[in-house]
Amino acid sequence: MLQGALAGLAIGGVYAVIAVCLTITAQLVRVVNFAQAAIGMIGAFFAVSMVGTGLAQPIAIVLGIVVGCLVSAAIGWVITTWLADATTSARSAVTVAALLLLISLSFIAFGTRPQSFRPLLPGPAFTIGGVVVTQVTVAMVILAVVVAIAAKLVLSKTRLGTKLRAIADRPVTAEMIGIPVRALSISVWLATGLIASVAIIVIAPTQSADATSLSLLVIPASAAALLGRFARLDLALIGGLGLGMIQGAAAQFAELNVLRDWIPLVLIVAFLLWNQRKEAWDVAR
Amino acid sequence: MSRASRRTIPRLWLRSGIAVIGLAVGGVIAAVLPGYLLYIATTAIVASIALIGLGVVTGTAGMIALCQLSFAAIGAWVVSWLNLIHAPGGYIVWLLLGCVASAASGLLLGIPALRLRGINLAVITLGFAAALDLTLVKLQFPGADQGTKIQRPWPFDDDRGFFLFAVIALVVAAVVVSIVQAGRWGSAWRSVAFSERGTATAGASVRFAKLSAFAVSAAISGLAGGLLAGQVGMAFPTSFAALQSLALYLLSIVVGAHLIEMAIFGGILWVLIPEIFKRFGISQDWGLVLFGVLGIQAITSKTSPGQLLRNAIARRRPTPECTSSLTDAPPQPPDTAGTPAVGAALLEVSALSVTYGELKALDHVGFTIHENEIVGLIGPNGAGKSTLVDAISGFVPLQSGDVRLQGRSLRRSAPHVRARAGLRRTYQQDRVPPTLTVGAFTKFVGGGASTPHEIDEILDFFGCPDAGTPLASVDVGRRRIVEVAAQLSAKPNILLLDEPAAGLSHEEHEGLALRLVQVPARFGASVLLIEHDLNLVRSVCTSLLVLDFGTLLASGPQEQVLSRPEVKKAYMGETEML
Repeated sequence: MLQGALAGLAIGGVYAVIAVCLTITAQLVRVVNFAQAAIGMIGAFFAVSMVGTGLAQPIAIVLGIVVGCLVSAAIGWVITTWLADATTSARSAVTVAALLLLISLSFIAFGTRPQSFRPLLPGPAFTIGGVVVTQVTVAMVILAVVVAIAAKLVLSKTRLGTKLRAIADRPVTAEMIGIPVRALSISVWLATGLIASVAIIVIAPTQSADATSLSLLVIPASAAALLGRFARLDLALIGGLGLGMIQGAAAQFAELNVLRDWIPLVLIVAFLLWNQRKEAWDVAR
Repeated sequence: MSRASRRTIPRLWLRSGIAVIGLAVGGVIAAVLPGYLLYIATTAIVASIALIGLGVVTGTAGMIALCQLSFAAIGAWVVSWLNLIHAPGGYIVWLLLGCVASAASGLLLGIPALRLRGINLAVITLGFAAALDLTLVKLQFPGADQGTKIQRPWPFDDDRGFFLFAVIALVVAAVVVSIVQAGRWGSAWRSVAFSERGTATAGASVRFAKLSAFAVSAAISGLAGGLLAGQVGMAFPTSFAALQSLALYLLSIVVGAHLIEMAIFGGILWVLIPEIFKRFGISQDWGLVLFGVLGIQAITSKTSPGQLLRNAIARRRPTPECTSSLTDAPPQPPDTAGTPAVGAALLEVSALSVTYGELKALDHVGFTIHENEIVGLIGPNGAGKSTLVDAISGFVPLQSGDVRLQGRSLRRSAPHVRARAGLRRTYQQDRVPPTLTVGAFTKFVGGGASTPHEIDEILDFFGCPDAGTPLASVDVGRRRIVEVAAQLSAKPNILLLDEPAAGLSHEEHEGLALRLVQVPARFGASVLLIEHDLNLVRSVCTSLLVLDFGTLLASGPQEQVLSRPEVKKAYMGETEML
C-alpha cells in the first residue's frame, strides 16, 4: 500500500503541476485550459522525434519545450485576440477544440502508437523503509512544489504579479493605465506551456505514452485544481499529490482495476458538491 | 384571430408535412442507394440523431457537454445486453430501454452539475467520457467476446430496411425535439442559457431546466447508440471514444445543431469529411483536425452557418407592423370608477437585514405594501434599492428579517417559488433572452396564467412589438417594457420594477407613467417602483419609501415624504432643487 502510494507520487506530481497551471490560467486569463496536458504532450513528442533524427537529447528537449511554449502562446493569442470580452465558458471552449486538434495532429505527425522515450532520470533516488523512491518521483514533487511556490511569490510579491492580477480582474482598466494586457496574457500562456512541457517530458518515459492518455492527464489535474476551486495554488498542489497517491495505492489491488479509472471523476463530483453546497446566484447572470 | 395564436396552427401542419417529406426522401434513398453508400448513410442518420440531442444541451441550453457518445455507449450497452439475455420485447423495446438508461445516467451526472455554471459541467462530462472509455475497453460490450449479433426487428432486418428504420427514428426524434423546443421546456432552456436569474423570475426552476435539457439530450444519444449497435450488429468501444465525443461537440457548435436541419447537415458532414479524406488517400485524422479548426472558427466568430441562414431568411421576411407604441395615448381604464381602493396588507417586509461581509447593505428595513397600491422606492445610488428587490425576490440570503406575501412567509422559498406565489420582478440589466420571440417570451414568463388573447391585449397596452418579433431585434429599452408586460401576464399579486424606464425617451417615460397608474385597476397587481425620474415617481406613486445607506429614511404618502428636509438632503443633495 505504502509502496503504491509512493509510486503514485510521481504521477501525482504531474497532476499537481498541471493543476497549478490550470489554476494560473483560470485566475489570470479566465480560461480553464483543457489542452494544458496536450500542449506538454506535443512538446514531449517533438523532443522524441528530434532524438530520432539523431539530435543530442538535451538539445531535443529544449526544442520540445520551445514547441510546447509556442503552441500554448498560439492558443492564447487566438483567445486574447478574438474572445477578449467573452465569458470563461466561451474562452475555455476554444481549448476543447485545441485539445482535439493537438491530439489528432500528433496522430498525423507522430503516429498513434505510444512513443518510446529514453528515460531522462533513470533509476531509484533513495529507499525509505524498504520502499524505493525513484528519481522521477523526487523530481516531479520538487517541480510541483517549486512551481506552486514560485507562482505564489511572483503573484503576491512582485510588481509583475500586481500587473498580472490587474489584467485578470479589470482588463479594460489595466489597458487604460498602460499595462500591456495582450503581451502579458500571452506570456502567461508561454509560462504555463513551458511548465506543462517540462512536466510531461519528465514523466512520459514512466507512463503509457500515447497522445490521448497523456493529454487526458488534464482530467485528474482538473480534479486537483477543483479542490482549490481554480483559485488556491496550495490546495491544487496538495490535491494533485494526494490524488496520485490514492490512485497509486488503488493500483495495488487487482480487483480495483476498473474502479481505479473512476477515482478522478468521483473526486471531481465530490469537490463540486462540497464547494457548491450553498446555492449562490451569480450577479452577472 | 389573435396575434399569438396565429402562428401555432400552421406550424403544426408544417412540422407534419416536413416529417412526411423526410420519410418519403428516406424511402427513395433506401430504394436507390447502393449497399456501401447506404451503410454510411445509416451512419450519417445515427450521427444526426446524436447531434440533435447534443444541440439541446450545447445550442439551446448553452452548456458544454463533452460526453455525448458516452451516453450513446450506455444505450448501445443496454441493447447489447438485452440482446444477449434474449430479453422479451425485441429490438425496439430494447432501444427504448436504452434511452431510459441513458436519460437516467444523464440525470445522475447532471445533479452535481446543477449549480454549475458552464465550465464545471465541461470538466465533469470530460471526466465521465474518459472514465467510461477506459472501462469499456477493459470490459467490452456484452456478447462481444462470443460475437453475438444483435437481432434486428422484422421488416427492418436487412441493411436497406434498417436504413429506413433509422430514418423513422430520426424523424420521430426530430419531431419530438422540435415540439419540446417550441414549448415551455424549450423556452426555459433558452432562458437559462442567457440568464439564470431571469429564468427563476419567470417561475421556472433553473435546476429543472438544466436537468431536463441534460436528460433529453442523453436519451436521444442513447437512441443513437442503440441504433449504431443495431447497424453494425455489435458495439465496439472505439465508436464511443472520448475523442469522438469532443469532435461531435465541436461539430455541433460548427453547424449550430440546435436547429434540426443543421443537425442533419452535421450528421452528413460527420461521415462525408472522413470519407472524402479516405478517397484521396489522406489520413482520416485530418478530419478531426478540420473539426478542431472549424470549431475554433465557430467559437471565435460566435455564430454558425445555420443561424446565419435563419437570420438571412428572417431579414427577407417583412417585419411585422407595429400597431401600437408607448407614446400613444393609453386606452381608458376598464372601470370608469377610477383606481380601486387600497386594500389589505399584501407584502410585509419586516426587520430585513443583508450583509456582505462587514458591510451592511440593508439594516432592519421594514414596510408594508397593500393591495392596489403603487409604492415608489427612491434613494441615492448605492442606497441598497436593488439589493432590497434582490432580497425580497430571494436572490440574496437574508441575515435577519422576513418577507411575507399575503401572510405567508417566503423567507425559505427559492426565487422561482416566490415568482409562482405571485411575487414578480423585472431587472435593471437586460435579462430578456434574445433567442426568443416577444410572444414566446411572454408565454414563458406568463406560465399559462393568461390566454393568448389576454397576452395580445397586454402587449398592445404597453405598446410592445408584435408577438412574432424576435427579441434580438428589439432595442434594450423596449425589451425592458416587454419584460414588464410579460411579468404582468403572469397575473402577479405584486410586481417589483427596477428602473423600468431606463433607456426610454422622455415621451416614452410619460407614456409608461400613464400605463403604470392603471396597473392595479387593469391587472389587479400592486407595484413597487424603483425609479430615479422623480416626475415619473410623482405621477405614478401614491406613497414612497426612501432608502439611504441601507436604512429606511422615510416612508409615507408621497408629498409628505418628498417635503421632509432629510429626504431632500439625502436624495437631492443640497444644491439640486425639487
